[in-house]
Amino acid sequence: MATEASSVGDVRAASLKKRSRPGEMVIHGSLFIAAAISIVTTIGIVYELGKEALLFFQSKDVTLGEFFSSTTWQPAILDFGIWPLVLATLMVSVIAMLVALPIGLATAIYLSEYASERWRGILKPILEVLAGIPTVVYGYFALTFMTPLLRSILGDGVVEIFNDASAGIVVGILIIPLVSSMAEDALHAVPMSLREAAHALGATKLETSLRVVLPAALSGIVAAFVVAISRAIGETMVVAIAAGAGPKNFTLGQDSLFGHILNPFVAGETMTGHIVRISGGDLSYDSIDYNSIFAIGLTLFLITLSLNMLSRRFVARFREVYE
Amino acid sequence: MMRRSFRLAAVLAVVMLIVAACAGGDSGTTTTASAPGETTSTSASAAQGDGMFPVVDPLDVAGDIVTAGSSTVFPLSEAMAARFEDEGYGGRITIDSIGSGAGFERFCEQGETDVANASRPIKDSEIESCRSIGREPIEFRVGTDALAVTVSPTNTFAADITFEELAVLFSTAVTWQDVRPDWPANPIQRFIPGTDSGTFDYFVEEVFDEDEAPILNAANLQLSEDDNVLVQGIEGDGCDPDNSATTCAVGFFGFAYYAENSGQLNVLAVEGVEPNAGNVDAGTYPLARPLFIYSTADIMKEKPQVGDFINFYLTYVNEEIIDVGYFPAPPDALEAAQQAWLEAMS
Repeated sequence: MATEASSVGDVRAASLKKRSRPGEMVIHGSLFIAAAISIVTTIGIVYELGKEALLFFQSKDVTLGEFFSSTTWQPAILDFGIWPLVLATLMVSVIAMLVALPIGLATAIYLSEYASERWRGILKPILEVLAGIPTVVYGYFALTFMTPLLRSILGDGVVEIFNDASAGIVVGILIIPLVSSMAEDALHAVPMSLREAAHALGATKLETSLRVVLPAALSGIVAAFVVAISRAIGETMVVAIAAGAGPKNFTLGQDSLFGHILNPFVAGETMTGHIVRISGGDLSYDSIDYNSIFAIGLTLFLITLSLNMLSRRFVARFREVYE
Repeated sequence: MMRRSFRLAAVLAVVMLIVAACAGGDSGTTTTASAPGETTSTSASAAQGDGMFPVVDPLDVAGDIVTAGSSTVFPLSEAMAARFEDEGYGGRITIDSIGSGAGFERFCEQGETDVANASRPIKDSEIESCRSIGREPIEFRVGTDALAVTVSPTNTFAADITFEELAVLFSTAVTWQDVRPDWPANPIQRFIPGTDSGTFDYFVEEVFDEDEAPILNAANLQLSEDDNVLVQGIEGDGCDPDNSATTCAVGFFGFAYYAENSGQLNVLAVEGVEPNAGNVDAGTYPLARPLFIYSTADIMKEKPQVGDFINFYLTYVNEEIIDVGYFPAPPDALEAAQQAWLEAMS
């Protein structure tokens, strides 16, 4: 036995330099390919988006200045101002976050700090069922349940049949599981010794949760928020069904700010919703309408990219390392 | 044991391959058998005398048919295809509802479809692009649509409208009062078909003299190629004439969608004329327009199933069209379509 063990040790020491392990190399290679696929795909998508968007901006019917300054989007008559679509997207996302953040975070705190192990085992899978519902179902839930509900509370005169508020609320419900499960993981990772120390100093359970555990897990929670915001901005099916089928064009100074431009209860098509509707009508490939959807796609991509970069910075700055 | 079951599986696979090959061969022979039978029968009846429209038996027809175009013609083509299949047609027929313009594009530019459905006549530019890919389109009139201008049932004040009022209603007006002074001051919301649809083109042509800008610049505008979205939007507008804060919606689309939802929508008389069969036949309803399908003689000869389907369409369309919600074409227009078919197939 002893000799065998020593010989194994010899082999291991020698293999560090010489012996190649074909099995190991195959695994190494396939893992590398798996990682490369997603990177290559991303590069391909960005290339394609950029190429088609460039075609759009090269057209004589549109300028970069008009794209970012005009407040009217109506491709059929060559009005290309991205703002109505961007505003609707931001509005839906903000409403979604207003719903998802408090509820998702509260759920995470409850699951991580208060729930007994048994309850946790029951509640977590149920929450994950929410994430498994197809988004098209959420879309009709917004149109046939949330909109009538908003109308019965606020009145038919206030809430239009298609509106950003009900789409936003439902997108919020849709991303609650995402927020709660990522935030809960972050809270759970906070070492027990911190909680014990807080209790020992006489803090109540609530004080421990909110003042000790929550700040300690802040970077993970922020990461969860940013993933959720990206998800809300990119969400397509719900807004295509419930948010409206036409860009909410406006004229600054002429339309009332809260009655029309920032009113969440009127119809306003988002960037993703517009891409879906326009491409549903079989556009011809060399038309400016077709190229315009790539410009919208690129804008969308840049928004989520900058959000992700911001969050990386934030996480790096506030990360607390224990152990 | 392992080896034996593997061998069994292999034998099974071979048997299945042979069966599949035979089945493929069988269907192949029926197609070829039916196709000459079809051509002989049509050429025979065509030879019998001009004006005699041959009768197609769908049981003898196989092979796929690809059609695309107007969302207005879609329900009619769908009904005809369903009847064609019920009576024994063995192939598969695709009908894409993508708007007349997109339908012509796929027919004339990509050349992917056998039949283009359209709710407006083909444009000269489209004929040119068709010719450039060697297609000479033939027009078949299949019916008449009345464009329905609708409001929600709780909109109790609007019952009729003039052309001038339509032009205001679908462009600059903010409230209904701007359209007609005795109407209440409820804001207007507009639900119209997408810019790729023949319905949109037709409305712009009739009401705005082919200028798209006024209607597309209108506020509170919702556009959709899906007519059900429009119906949903108008029906659910929450209009209350006594509460001027509520918006009252208006929209237009093919009559069939109104007919299908007549309980949930109110239709307006245009220039004092109600859209109904009598007025459309008499030609007095001003927003009535022809519905067409297009194909070419070459396609109809190369793919006999396409010629047979159009023949079947022209033979039975008047028995289905009322149920779908449209109106029969004038008898001479339908006769001209049958004549065009005979010429194409001769």
